[in-house]
Amino acid sequence: MAESDFYSIDDKVIPAYQLAASILDFCRSRGVNKHKLLRGTGIFDEDLVSDKTLSCQQLLQLMKNAESLTPGHDCTFLLGKRLFPGSYGAISNALMHTRNLTDGFRILASNRSQICPFLDLKHYSSQQHHYVLITDAIGSQEQFKFIAELYCTALVSSVKLILGQRIPFEFNFPFPRPKYIQEYEVHLGHRLNFSQPTMSIRLQKKWLDTFGLNPSDRLKHHALRQCKQALMPKKGFVEAVRWTLGKHAEYGLQNVAEQFSMSPATFKRKLKQHGYHFQQIHDEVGKQQAIYLLQMQQLSNEETAHLMQFSDIPNFRRSVKRWTGLTPSQLRMTIHN
Amino acid sequence: MNLSLLAHHQRLFSVTCASLALSLSLSIGLGEAKTIAEISWLDIIGEGSVALLSLLWIFFLLVSRPPGRVTSALVLGLSCFLFSANLDLVDEVMSYHNAASVLSMIESIPAALGMLIMSYALYQWHKEQLVLNKQLQKRESALREHHQVDFITALYSAEYMRTQIDSALNNNQPPEFSVVMLDIDDFDGFNRQFGHDQGDRLLRELSDLILMNLRATDLACRYAGDRFILLFPNTDLATAEKIAGQIKTAIANIAFKPSPSAESVYHQLSFAVETAISGDATENLLHRVSRRLEKFKQRTKQPIHQYTLSSSANGPNGLKHDGNSHG
Repeated sequence: MAESDFYSIDDKVIPAYQLAASILDFCRSRGVNKHKLLRGTGIFDEDLVSDKTLSCQQLLQLMKNAESLTPGHDCTFLLGKRLFPGSYGAISNALMHTRNLTDGFRILASNRSQICPFLDLKHYSSQQHHYVLITDAIGSQEQFKFIAELYCTALVSSVKLILGQRIPFEFNFPFPRPKYIQEYEVHLGHRLNFSQPTMSIRLQKKWLDTFGLNPSDRLKHHALRQCKQALMPKKGFVEAVRWTLGKHAEYGLQNVAEQFSMSPATFKRKLKQHGYHFQQIHDEVGKQQAIYLLQMQQLSNEETAHLMQFSDIPNFRRSVKRWTGLTPSQLRMTIHN
Repeated sequence: MNLSLLAHHQRLFSVTCASLALSLSLSIGLGEAKTIAEISWLDIIGEGSVALLSLLWIFFLLVSRPPGRVTSALVLGLSCFLFSANLDLVDEVMSYHNAASVLSMIESIPAALGMLIMSYALYQWHKEQLVLNKQLQKRESALREHHQVDFITALYSAEYMRTQIDSALNNNQPPEFSVVMLDIDDFDGFNRQFGHDQGDRLLRELSDLILMNLRATDLACRYAGDRFILLFPNTDLATAEKIAGQIKTAIANIAFKPSPSAESVYHQLSFAVETAISGDATENLLHRVSRRLEKFKQRTKQPIHQYTLSSSANGPNGLKHDGNSHG
């Protein structure tokens, strides 16, 4: 069947020399005991200098250990700054030679699972703004905040390196405003919103044309050819399920399991392994669509309900309220212009 | 747990062991075992825990203090106390006849002696603490919270600065203090070129230098990343700006050496100053000053440049660009 190109939380598909090596390196500089850091991860010291690959689960455990063992609150932010360009080889080369931000986003989109296996990124545009809608791709659960901080910092610092200037990204986070807000302000800037219905990044469209510092199509294409040799599946399991449901809103568990060539029982077990129920993903897909149509496209209730195949408006309003905690009109107002 | 200090305490370690061995061998050697029926288990638990806890205290002293007069006196006093506690404990399971009964008569004397030595030690400790407080003056205000100390620079963190600004806002009406935020220009570029370990070392050395340029009443904390925050009590905007300017000049002239050779890198600072106004809130003040710094940095947008290693004879490069900003 169609849905075979995905990685599960326990598939060993991520090169150890990337994130894991950065985490180890950082923790060493903070005086963390290496044995404590690797406890429960199933990662060994020698894995990091070999071609070994790790699973998302192993990395999530490593992040958890790193977070609790390092002093202060800056672990994720400083790690984020270290990720690019060092950890990504050919992809970094391709990104360094992009023409502009749009071009960079395109490379990011087609190599996303190699760069950031934990997050599912969807790009949207309205008239004025470009949006990146971000959801969990693999079941990060309590490490989601760690991952959000890590990759947002990596984005800001790599964009600054590639374009030579800081782009005013606006970040929306689903979690409440943390006490260590200074780290967010210094590393991500002041355009921050917390306790939002979903995680997203917004920027004005004019920035998409910002030129790269070292544009070269020839070097970029050469690097991209090298990227293609990596055998990383494109989608995380949760992301793949969400994608299937996004295409076929009418599908039940049985149909989706069929798409993944699994029995419903196996499929359920697999979802559970990633920390999800089927209904939860179903609701999330609805939530994403509602946010996209109401918040980003600023469509009316009637148009949105029609596009989302709701037959009556009250039912639609109830569902939106259940998914996002906000009524459709409140959701439309959450965008600050 | 960091046990590295233990290696410096061989002598005190033997004192403790001697106290332990002597008390146990004396009391066990000279007595006769009681029958099970005679033993009061409640007393054993009570006195046993006194002995065990004093041993634990000695251990924590040894792993947390470098050798010196105060440490020796503290450990000696506790060892005497441990001696008595052990006699007391063994007393519960042993009975003594004739000559040996003297032992139970004098068993409290070492404890009294130990308490005397401890009292002396605590007085010395108090004096030592006053000296240490003075050493810490510019790193620390009226409050000590060791878990808020930053790992890299050993300055206090932003959290600590928040509580200090809070109390400064609450205690004086209208508030009369200024806050300065400092930021190293293109610290990311430095890290990329010379590595993060050198970046950490740079932060450490710059924090020492910032402290050196402060007055005795001022407080410096690490804010986040390459950003520092200073609190100047009873200081107006102009004075705060002047001191911040002096720090900037001092840092611009420091020839930081990232490699073993004499090649040096010079650093520029950007800073922003804010004065507290009446009815101010800590978050507002911090927000104002960091926004101002951000705006200033955007205005004087520094191109990403390669650090050029210059030999120290050439002097600092790029000193001319002026780095202060205010209202």
